[in-house]
Amino acid sequence: MNLEDEHSALEADNISSTESVPSRKPAGFFRERPPEVMEVAPKLLRHWTRRDLLLFGMGAIAAIAGGGSLLPQTTLERLGIIHENKNWPKKEWFLNRSLRIDDDVAEALYSRNRLVPTYSKSQITPLRNNYNGATPNPSYIPEWRLTLDGLASGLSVSLNIRNLLASFQVHEQITRLVCVEGWSAIAWWAGLRFDDLLRAYPPMSKARWVRIESSVNLGPWGNPDPYYVSLDLSTARHPQTLLATHLNGKPLTVEHGAPLRLVAPVKLGLKNIKAITRITYTGDEPLDYWAKRGYSRYDGI
Amino acid sequence: MPHSTQLDTERITTSTPESEAGVLVVRRHHLLVRCSHWLNVPILLGLILSGVSIYWASPVYQHKPNPQTESVDPLADIGIWICAHVPGLHQYSSAPDWVYNHISLGPGMLAVALRLHWLCAYLFMLNGLVFVIGSAMGGGWRSLLPRSTDLRDAARMFWYYIGVPVAKLTRRSWMPPRFNTKYNALQRVAYFSVPVAGFQSVLTGWAIHKPIQLHWLTAIFGGYEKARIWHFWLMWVFILFVVPHVVLVLAEGWDTLRSMIIGWSTRAERSEDFCQ
Repeated sequence: MNLEDEHSALEADNISSTESVPSRKPAGFFRERPPEVMEVAPKLLRHWTRRDLLLFGMGAIAAIAGGGSLLPQTTLERLGIIHENKNWPKKEWFLNRSLRIDDDVAEALYSRNRLVPTYSKSQITPLRNNYNGATPNPSYIPEWRLTLDGLASGLSVSLNIRNLLASFQVHEQITRLVCVEGWSAIAWWAGLRFDDLLRAYPPMSKARWVRIESSVNLGPWGNPDPYYVSLDLSTARHPQTLLATHLNGKPLTVEHGAPLRLVAPVKLGLKNIKAITRITYTGDEPLDYWAKRGYSRYDGI
Repeated sequence: MPHSTQLDTERITTSTPESEAGVLVVRRHHLLVRCSHWLNVPILLGLILSGVSIYWASPVYQHKPNPQTESVDPLADIGIWICAHVPGLHQYSSAPDWVYNHISLGPGMLAVALRLHWLCAYLFMLNGLVFVIGSAMGGGWRSLLPRSTDLRDAARMFWYYIGVPVAKLTRRSWMPPRFNTKYNALQRVAYFSVPVAGFQSVLTGWAIHKPIQLHWLTAIFGGYEKARIWHFWLMWVFILFVVPHVVLVLAEGWDTLRSMIIGWSTRAERSEDFCQ
């Protein structure tokens, strides 16, 4: 591009583009191209500027209003923007919708045949006890039984820990537990495969979900706070989904969910429910303790 | 702002008196590039605000509990220090939360922070796609590619920017280094690094979001814990870029800012020595 080119362009019409090709060296694919100089009437440029600034301003206002309304109530209150509850009704729906998309992505990524990475014993790390800060009274352990509901037989089955350990093969694995808070730990688990339990006590044919309950969970102030999770049957059938009885070579302690807990390394830690007392197979998705509190329902990682 | 528009057009029209109507313009930014540029503002803000709230739940950096404050989190320590030393903040109700109250959605909001973070993260990925399509259609990506002379020229440009306030104060003339490309070397380094950092943020994000199903990706970044640290520091790349970016654009003048909104620049003269 040179001055002569530009002047010849000036003589053309109101909007015209000068030729940009005549460069002495053949321009490589990665070479920066010279800018195309055009001539426009100042009036037209002012018109474009006005039009685009107007559009830009409207977009900015929409972004501030839309983005701001998605912020949590407490944040807006702290910023002094609002003082009373002004949650629009569709806000939760909208945020849950985006969470649902993420859950669908997680479900699409999951494969029952894809194994979870395992670690060596030297890589084991301390495992935090996130039991709401309180430890249940161990007095429930001698009486403990596992109840199975929603079976193909239509019956309710009650098992104790000796039945379980006697009738199922014990598997060991060293896997990573990832908490929704962000921390993680590598732990050595042993227990029976959930899949083996499903084969021994098949669920009813329309079952797609499992509801797993713990009646011994405690809230932060030590009050009873029954815990329950939903789990899709496909995850329950993963070969590395265990009903664990041992941690690091020793029977589970009360802190870690004695006598039987779920270890599903393809899920976040919050699905790995401790001290399981009841397993129910259902056709519809059951409720989940943390999903009710605004977390994801699927929690696949 | 209409004032400076007139100045710009007047300058051009007086320099080419033979055609009163003509203003020479060059197209600086493709429409899609402009859209994705501005969409980054709310999206990155949402990602950082929610991201720091997620960080609060389990800080990457922790030290042994401080016997006095019981704090394990350096960001909480900073809040405590600020509330102890800044006048007017001595009565602040929760000093350890001061930093989180000012650069995040707030402490103890993990569930809502996660939902916002996923929403913004998917929008950020879509927006990245808009940018890629826009720079492919407009050909602007060629102006971002690093060149062998960039490091030396970027250092010279940096030195020029440092010297500008000094030159203004001492009223000495201080000429910018000459360049005949769309961006100067410092801009090019910055504008190339930011999309790369965005891509890395997406990769490290997936690495810590799906560390089991995408464990090969997590392994590339040195495992789950290290991927979190990468993700955390990539946020600082954006913050450290945005501050000088905004300052320099405002210093550069209206034409630069306007070209990111309407796409056209009236600084067309530079093209004359482009091919030399």
